[in-house]
Amino acid sequence: MKPVIALTKGRLENQFLTFFQSLDFEIKPLTEKGRKLRVETDQFEFIFAKGVDVTTYVQHGIADLGVVGGDILAEFQPDVYDLFPLPFGQCRMAVAKEKGKQWPEEKKTIASKYTNITKAFFKEKGESVDIIKLEGSVELAPILDLADGIVDIVETGTTLKENGLIVDEEFLHFSARLIANRSALKIKRKTLRPIIDLLKQKEEL
Amino acid sequence: MFLPAGSQDQIGEKLNDQAKVNQIFRNVVLRRNYVAIETPVVEYAQTFTNPSVGMEANKLLKWFDGEGEIEVLRADWTTAIARALMTKETTQSKWFYQGSVFQKNESGIESQQAGIEIILMDVLLGEMETLFTAVDVLKELSIQDYLIELGHTGIFDYLIEPLLLNQADEEKLRSAMDEKNEDLVYRIASANGNDQIANQLVGLIQAYGGRDILADYRNKWQANPELLAIIDHLEKLITSLKELGVDDVIVDLGSVRQLRYYSGTMFSGYLKQTGDICFSGGRYDRLYNQFEKNISAVGLAFYVDVLTKIIKSDRKKRLVCIVASPETHVKAEQMRSEFLDAQVDIVYQRPTENQYDEIINLVDGVQL
Repeated sequence: MKPVIALTKGRLENQFLTFFQSLDFEIKPLTEKGRKLRVETDQFEFIFAKGVDVTTYVQHGIADLGVVGGDILAEFQPDVYDLFPLPFGQCRMAVAKEKGKQWPEEKKTIASKYTNITKAFFKEKGESVDIIKLEGSVELAPILDLADGIVDIVETGTTLKENGLIVDEEFLHFSARLIANRSALKIKRKTLRPIIDLLKQKEEL
Repeated sequence: MFLPAGSQDQIGEKLNDQAKVNQIFRNVVLRRNYVAIETPVVEYAQTFTNPSVGMEANKLLKWFDGEGEIEVLRADWTTAIARALMTKETTQSKWFYQGSVFQKNESGIESQQAGIEIILMDVLLGEMETLFTAVDVLKELSIQDYLIELGHTGIFDYLIEPLLLNQADEEKLRSAMDEKNEDLVYRIASANGNDQIANQLVGLIQAYGGRDILADYRNKWQANPELLAIIDHLEKLITSLKELGVDDVIVDLGSVRQLRYYSGTMFSGYLKQTGDICFSGGRYDRLYNQFEKNISAVGLAFYVDVLTKIIKSDRKKRLVCIVASPETHVKAEQMRSEFLDAQVDIVYQRPTENQYDEIINLVDGVQL
């Protein structure tokens, strides 16, 4: 059986393919997959899913390996081996608020897609906050007065800027990571080990 | 009516298979002279959450009793049995248990375990006995395609000792090791001032595989008697398991356990077909320190739900129907003794569907 690799659809997918090609793997079946969510190459079977679903597929052993953003791993804490960073998909987690606006005196309200990360961050600081879960376009929340600030990933900062927000504090740095199913790593060690070694960039440590 | 997430009704075939797993386990351990033990389903939370055990309170099923004490459903057999055994003056070494444990996690609330605990026994003898019992049980269940993994808590504990970590950092490092998170392990260890140890720990993350790993580390650690003793110990266990006919035994020198009471050899059994872990356990002398006892303790638990999923169900028995009347019902009942190997229904009306292997008519008091 070919090793099964779950890939995060979208931005990370393209960056992974470029990286994968640079390691001399054939990526044509992957770039020409159209809307297919399951693609077989000579060596591997790939499945394409949303980041958090990648962790689910890996945790349940449907996929042996997965490529997923570190932000997703920090937020959902799946029970998988979280092996090492891959050289793409870098981003930072930051608290941001409206430019020129002060934090309120009372308890802050923070909007975020990443409620667990947000809670852990403020808990460690010893600051109580109320958290509002949003699914996307989190930048809207302070502008529309839903929240005092947001916690979100920042790549270039353009989206923040264009919506009149500024970074108040950066607190985590992420990149894409290689994860593995706990049992598969042991049971299929002979097939998986060479792939893992290939994907590893020593200098990243 | 709705069930809480993780709760489940069980019916029919699955329950039979589960009973079969439990029965086979029981036969094997009784044959090996284990004695049954059962602790109550309800205990004080303290049994499981005290620092020697360190289970997370938020995963336990708990409530306040009338006196304001926190009570929980049995969260772990090993811990509860240690508590029970320490209240008794006993010289018995080999114990077994069967029943549910309750913890909130992804796979649900309740899970069935069947396991053994060995106390007061020579270290190697106890560990061999534990592993051999596991092999015996799997053999009786006709499960052949499995892998046994061995590890040892002493390696990680020994390497991190010079780092003098505070408890929070040690937990972080342990959890990063458990996730095989190379960069995080490196960061935590080197931030505490030692690149050499950081590199060794990162090396350990990849130290899983066959005997070649042991040979490798025997070389690396030849100047270190403490670590070398661990390698020798693991080698002895692997050799014995192989001699006993277990094909696939591996080591993972970088493995750690989140539960703090483990103190020595650790074992896990993987089903190769499904990837599920079917048993796990190890040495936990440290667990008994809370009772100010210094005794040897080792054991393992089988995950009955996992085994139930993969064992072959017993062959269906012959299905017999006796069509009787109120007048002949007693005679039909007496006839059951003639069909001890079959499953027998007694009915008053001849069945319309042909689900039976044999139908006996006793309506007129005469067997047709």
